[in-house]
Amino acid sequence: MSTRRKKRSIFEIMREHVEDLEAFADELLESTLVERPSWDLQSCCLEPLCSVLVSADEVVVTADLPNIDPKNIKIEAVREDLIEITAKMKRKLHFEDFGITHRQGEFSAFRCQTRIPVPVNIKQMKTQFKRGILEVHLPRKRGYRIRIE
Amino acid sequence: MSEVVKVVEKKAIPSDAIMLYGLPDVGLVGLIATSYIISELDFPEIAYADSDLLPPVVVLHNGFPHAPLRIYGGKNLIATISEMPVSEAALHPVMRALVDWGQSKKVKMMISMGGIPVQNRQDIKEPKVYGAASSKDLLDFLHKKEVAILKEGYMVGPQALTMRFCVERNIPAIALLAQSFYNYPDPEAAAAVIREVTRIADIKVDVSQLLEKGEEIRLRARDIMKRTQRELTQMKKSQEYDVPYVT
Repeated sequence: MSTRRKKRSIFEIMREHVEDLEAFADELLESTLVERPSWDLQSCCLEPLCSVLVSADEVVVTADLPNIDPKNIKIEAVREDLIEITAKMKRKLHFEDFGITHRQGEFSAFRCQTRIPVPVNIKQMKTQFKRGILEVHLPRKRGYRIRIE
Repeated sequence: MSEVVKVVEKKAIPSDAIMLYGLPDVGLVGLIATSYIISELDFPEIAYADSDLLPPVVVLHNGFPHAPLRIYGGKNLIATISEMPVSEAALHPVMRALVDWGQSKKVKMMISMGGIPVQNRQDIKEPKVYGAASSKDLLDFLHKKEVAILKEGYMVGPQALTMRFCVERNIPAIALLAQSFYNYPDPEAAAAVIREVTRIADIKVDVSQLLEKGEEIRLRARDIMKRTQRELTQMKKSQEYDVPYVT
């Protein structure tokens, strides 16, 4: 017996979108409200300062990456909506370098994961590194044109 | 003087001084600039701000606890810094108390240092500094010093309140704001502001060390920048990008 794919109703599509939005809001809430250090001793990584700007044509992710050589920056698409930036430092850093003596540990890289809030063509990603700031340009996926009658 | 926020004096306070403000804001420009001036001029801590509105925080330096919001001073200069962002809820009483305190110490002028966020900051080699002033005479003074005037636009945050409270109390006030990153510590913008302050306040500060240590400053300032970002969102700092309706 052939199984025909059931057409989804507008309410189901809307519910899916609402669930996506709720998941995004939860992630956002967690990332902004939950206090956590900007370093991870296990991976020897510091979390860089990052920001995401959404314009009509593209999403621009920037990261402040001092003490790195741009040749050592790696950008990986973890998912369609998640990129990971890793950058090996020119010289390793220790807590003592910041005058902190009650913690031990060294850091050799920056690493952060950034969620892309709208659909993008990740394969068309372009990057540049200027004044110590990494810029990742991701063109937005186009929808379809609506004809004006 | 405001009772909600108390300025506790530790040493003799110079009178007829210029009072500098460098509270955490866009690019941490004011904080980086003011703390560099304090360090270069080797100023001692002369007072600090205490309030139940501020978080329960002390900062340890060389094993000694310090209030995050502190005032340093030398012969003709008083400099205010904060090692944590002042929340939107506390900003009005804190700035009011600092301005009142400065007035009680017969400060002759207040100068706020900060940044103006610009989206193409990466493309700017030498950030331009803009000035705003509390009176026409001071605007003319800035003009004579060849400081570009911030003619139209919004100011949001510590420097906006300093300016407002100074106008109310008839205290001469200037804001010096350099083109800067919004979210990232900007030592180059801080150096640009210091250059203008040295011309206005008649002090000598060489910014070469600040520029040399730029990467180190950016590494060290990550955490306070991150906390400042949250407060900037709360106080709707992005309104500085807006175009005013009434001209």
